[in-house]
Amino acid sequence: MIQVQGLSKSFGKVKAVQNVSFSAPDGQITGLLGPNGAGKSTTLRMLYTLLKPESGTAQVDGFDIRESPLEVQRRIGVLADARGLYSRLTSRENIRYYGRLHGLEGETLEKQIESLLFLLDMQTIADRKTEGFSTGEKLKVAIARTLVHNPKNVLLDEPTNGLDVMSTRAMRQFISRLRGEGKCVLFTSHIMQEVAALCDQIVIISRGEVTANGSPDDLRKQTGRENLEDAFVAVIGSEEGLE
Amino acid sequence: MMKKIMVIFNKEMIDNLRDYRSWMTGFFWALFGPLLLGGMIMLLGNSIREKVDQPLVLPVAGAENAPSLIAYLEQQDVIIEPAPSDPEAAVIAGDINVALIIPSGYGEDFSVGKTAKVQLIFDSTRQSAMADIRRAQTLLESYSEYIGLLRLSLRGVSPEVIRVVQVEETDTATPQSQAMIFISMLPYFIIFAIFNGASPVITDATAGERERGSLEPLLINPLPRGWVAIGKMLSAMPFAVFNLIITLGGFAAIFRLLPVEELIGVQIGLGISALTSVFLICLPIVFLACAIQTLIASFTKTTKEAGTYLPFIGLIPSLPGLALAFLPVKPDLWTMLIPTFGQQILINQFLRSEPILGRNIVVSTVLTILLSVVITYIAIKLYESERIITG
Repeated sequence: MIQVQGLSKSFGKVKAVQNVSFSAPDGQITGLLGPNGAGKSTTLRMLYTLLKPESGTAQVDGFDIRESPLEVQRRIGVLADARGLYSRLTSRENIRYYGRLHGLEGETLEKQIESLLFLLDMQTIADRKTEGFSTGEKLKVAIARTLVHNPKNVLLDEPTNGLDVMSTRAMRQFISRLRGEGKCVLFTSHIMQEVAALCDQIVIISRGEVTANGSPDDLRKQTGRENLEDAFVAVIGSEEGLE
Repeated sequence: MMKKIMVIFNKEMIDNLRDYRSWMTGFFWALFGPLLLGGMIMLLGNSIREKVDQPLVLPVAGAENAPSLIAYLEQQDVIIEPAPSDPEAAVIAGDINVALIIPSGYGEDFSVGKTAKVQLIFDSTRQSAMADIRRAQTLLESYSEYIGLLRLSLRGVSPEVIRVVQVEETDTATPQSQAMIFISMLPYFIIFAIFNGASPVITDATAGERERGSLEPLLINPLPRGWVAIGKMLSAMPFAVFNLIITLGGFAAIFRLLPVEELIGVQIGLGISALTSVFLICLPIVFLACAIQTLIASFTKTTKEAGTYLPFIGLIPSLPGLALAFLPVKPDLWTMLIPTFGQQILINQFLRSEPILGRNIVVSTVLTILLSVVITYIAIKLYESERIITG
C-alpha cells in the first residue's frame, strides 16, 4: 500500500515533480503514465528513498519515506531505471547478494532463489556469469533480485523498455501474477496500450503534475472519449508519448 | 551492522578477484619498485666499483719534457699513455676522460725555478669523467706542492712558512652511507605500491558501479549507505596489504639474491624483524590509501575519470620519500605529524637500524589513523548525498 501526498522535487530551476498525490492499494496494479521526462522516474526515486522530496511525503505500508527510509526499503522491491548487474557474478550470485543485503541467508535464501529461477524460467542461465546476457536475460536477473525478499510492494520503472514482443508479453503476465499474489504493484510506462491492458488504476503525469487519476473507465468518463488513447491525448494535451 | 558490511565485503572480494586484469595492474606496481631498485644497484654498483679498482689512465702529450713529473705520477699508480694527436677533440668526443699536455718549454722553466705550465684538458659537465678529472688534478697539485716544499727546504726556509693553515679532513661518510641513498628510496616505492594496489579495485567498486548502472539498485537495499562505503573500502584493503607484502618481499629478495655487498660495498640488513616492523608501520597507510581513494572514486563519474586522478594520489604522499633520498631529514616530532611522511622517516630508520623513539611511532600511527577516519567520514557523507545518484 503506497500513499503519496503532495510530492515535489526540483533540479536547479527545473521543476521535475510538482505536488504529486495518489495512492496505490494492495492487490492492484497502478500505472504511472506520461510522456518521457514527465517526472515518473523522479516520483519513483523519491518513493524508493533515493531522492529526498522538497515538500510532501509518502508512506509505504504506513512507514514514512522521510522518517523511516530503511523500513520503507525493507518493504519494497524496486526495478529501477538503472538495472546494471555485476557482470563477473553469475545470475544466482547476483540474486543472492541482494537477498543477503535484505538479511536473508542459508536455506531460506537458497529456496527463494530457486523458486524465482523457476518462476522466471531462467534455470539455464542461473550459473552463468551475466556478462554478455541479452536484454531480456538481464531483465530477468534484475527482476529476480528485486523480488528476492518477497516484498509486499513492487515498484517497476519502465519494465518493458527494450524488450521484444515475446518478452514484453511474458513481463505483462508476470506483473498480473504479482497482483494475483496480493501485492501492491506500481509501474511507470510511456506506452498507452500497456497501461490500458494491465492497470486497475492509471495516474497520468505530465510536466511534473498529475493531470488525471482513476480507473480506465473513470478516465473515459472524465474526458468524454470512448477510446482510452483519445482520453490520454485529451488529458496531456498533446500526442507525445503515444506509440 | 558487521554482518551487512561483511555481505558487501564478501561480494566485492569475489568480484574483484575475478577481475584479475585490474588487480594484476596493481600487482605490477608492487614489483616495479624492487625491480627498478635492483637494476639501479647493479648498474651504479658496477660503475662505482670500476672507478675505485682501476688505476687512472692518463694520456700525456710531451711526456719527454717532464721526466720527473711522469716518474712521480707513475709512482702514484697512474698509467701514462701517449695522448692522441688532437687531445682536445678526443675529450670532446668522449674517447678519453682527461688529457695532460706538457709543453716543450716546461723543462727550461722548471730548471730555472720559474712556474712551469702544464695543461689539463677535460669536460667538467661529464659526470662519468669526474672521478678521473679529480684524481688527475689532485695528483698534479700534490706534485707541485711536493717540489715547492723541497725548493724551500733547499733555501733554508721552513715549509711551515707557506703552510699557514693545515686542513685535516675527517670524512664521516662510510661506504655504508653512500649506499643509504638506495635504501632511502625504499619508502617511496613501498607507499606507491600500497596506493596502487588499492586503486584499481576501488575505482571499479565505486565509479565502475555507477558507470554500469548497478549503484542505484544497490543503494535501494535496506542498509545505511555508510555501510556500503565502508564495506567497499574494506574490500580494497587486502589488495593494498597484498601489494605491501609483495613489495617488501621483493626488496628482501633483491638484497638477498644480488651480491649487494660486492656491488656497492655494504651489506643491507633487511631481515625478518626489520621487514615485520616496516610492514606494521605501513598498515595505517593502507587505511589512509583506501580512505582517500574511496573518497575520490565516490565523486568521479566514470572509471576513466577516476583513473585520471588515482595514480597521482598515490604519487603525492610517496614523493617526500624520494626527496628523503637526497635531503636527509631528522626524525623530529613535527615530521611524525604528517601522515605518510612520518612513516617514511621511520622506515628509513628501521632500515638503517637506528634507535627509534616509541613516541614517534605512536604519534605517526595515531595521526594517520585519525586522518583516515576523517576522510572515511567525508566519503560516507558523500555517499549519503543525492549527488552519488544524480552525478
